[in-house]
Amino acid sequence: MMLSSVKSSFPMLLSRISQWDPSSFARPFLTLKPWPLCILVSGKKDSLNLVPLKEEELEEQFVRGHGPGGQATNKTSNCVVLKHLSSGIVVKCHQTRSVEINRKRAREIMQKKLDVFYNGENSEIWTRKREAERMKQEKKKKAKDILEKKKQFKESLAACPQENSETA
Amino acid sequence: MHDGEDCNCVLTNGLIQYLDMRWLKVMLLRERLIRQGCSVITHSRLQSSGAGSAPNTSFVTPSPPPGPLQVNSCIQFWKQVFSQHKIPEPEASSEYIVAHVLGAKTIQSLENKQLSDPLTTSQMQYVWELCTRRLQRVPVQYVIGEWDFRHLTLKMKPPVFIPRPETEELVVLVEEDLLSREKAVISVGPLREITFLEVGCGSGAICLSLLHLLPRINAIAVDKSAEAINLTRENADRLGLSDRLNLLQMDILLDSQQLVRECGAVDFIISNPPYVFSEDMNELEPEILQYEDLQALDGGEHGLEVIQQILTIGRQILKKNGKIFLEVEPRHPAMLQMLISQGCYSGIVYKDTKRDFCERPRFCILQKTFEEV
Repeated sequence: MMLSSVKSSFPMLLSRISQWDPSSFARPFLTLKPWPLCILVSGKKDSLNLVPLKEEELEEQFVRGHGPGGQATNKTSNCVVLKHLSSGIVVKCHQTRSVEINRKRAREIMQKKLDVFYNGENSEIWTRKREAERMKQEKKKKAKDILEKKKQFKESLAACPQENSETA
Repeated sequence: MHDGEDCNCVLTNGLIQYLDMRWLKVMLLRERLIRQGCSVITHSRLQSSGAGSAPNTSFVTPSPPPGPLQVNSCIQFWKQVFSQHKIPEPEASSEYIVAHVLGAKTIQSLENKQLSDPLTTSQMQYVWELCTRRLQRVPVQYVIGEWDFRHLTLKMKPPVFIPRPETEELVVLVEEDLLSREKAVISVGPLREITFLEVGCGSGAICLSLLHLLPRINAIAVDKSAEAINLTRENADRLGLSDRLNLLQMDILLDSQQLVRECGAVDFIISNPPYVFSEDMNELEPEILQYEDLQALDGGEHGLEVIQQILTIGRQILKKNGKIFLEVEPRHPAMLQMLISQGCYSGIVYKDTKRDFCERPRFCILQKTFEEV
């Protein structure tokens, strides 16, 4: 089902890619990368692991000017724009003043977005949300059961003293 | 033709000629800028009049709009002012300064709600003071007096060279190399302590980053500028990393033998040396030319003067198979490979070139082999 929905959105993916800034200093891509079948086929994931990112499927763009860069430039814009070529998902990260940390965070955000994109309801985020909700419901039920038992015990205590007094 | 070349006929002693040539080029460049109407700050004036103040300015600081100003409105206000005055990165400059006044590092780290809060009177005053300095083309890092390098926040002070983002990748390269060695060695026995030399430490970004990450590593850091050594010491003290850091103020072009004696044997050398070609110096933006130490940038005619000296020193002080990690100008990897293939540095082999995040050849890795020098 996933594959067919991808095939139908193929022209959409191409148009999104064509909007990519051609003057960027990121590696120019010449061909559309093959669809990552391994991600689609894998299905439900171990709840501890997100699908690892493949660098060859990512394209980064930075603001660094047109000169030789390095010492010759002093720019403070450390925004990282990360694009996943196959899905067209774009992540922008400008959270910190360090380019390296922004790159790492952009990849973390991309991993989570790809998980949701490919796995939908089976994604890590949704799985954990459901798990948290389930545990919350279980706790509620337990608390309710305990309250019910206490209530029954109190009621039986209220009934018992009359019997005890009769037998004694 | 360079203005500096006119001075050749005046000087006779080779060493003095070399030294004075470099200084004359710097001074003549400054003179040319002044003739062109730029406001040029010399280091002595910077020290006496405080960071970032420029006496020869002809603009008027804009008055704040009436009434209390919200954070996001303040950012927009100064973004417009910077744009009107052709200050580069108007939006980023405004955002970093306002964030700093609010005690944050970036606007993006603030809650949305905070962006509509009004600034207090003292906050407004501080924003106006800092933004006025930015109007004078003072780099943002000097305006706010600090900047981040990977996980560290370092004090910044003119004219000490401001770390560039590419240099963060240089540190990553070294980390990866050390970690891969650790995996290889760890099965054999406990790791001995590692010592490295950093040439041209500036604000201490590289050496402190490595000291912070690797608790067993020791550093020797060298810089010819007293301001750089003092700032590195200050940053090391603030980060609690001074005990594993040995600082030396010296010019490796003049005092290399003294450095060799003081260093002993080191496991690797790392450097972001001055690597700009002299002929490219006058193309640099005013933020750099007016406020940063130009000697931290000018690498001579081919940008290789300090780099070549590092290779020479490396032959003497590196342990067997010790590496040299350099950040360079994109033309340098090819030039260095040629020099080495011509036998200029026997005992040193060229191992690898790495590209930076803009795909420019930026990092050279070399290694001392066990061949006799």
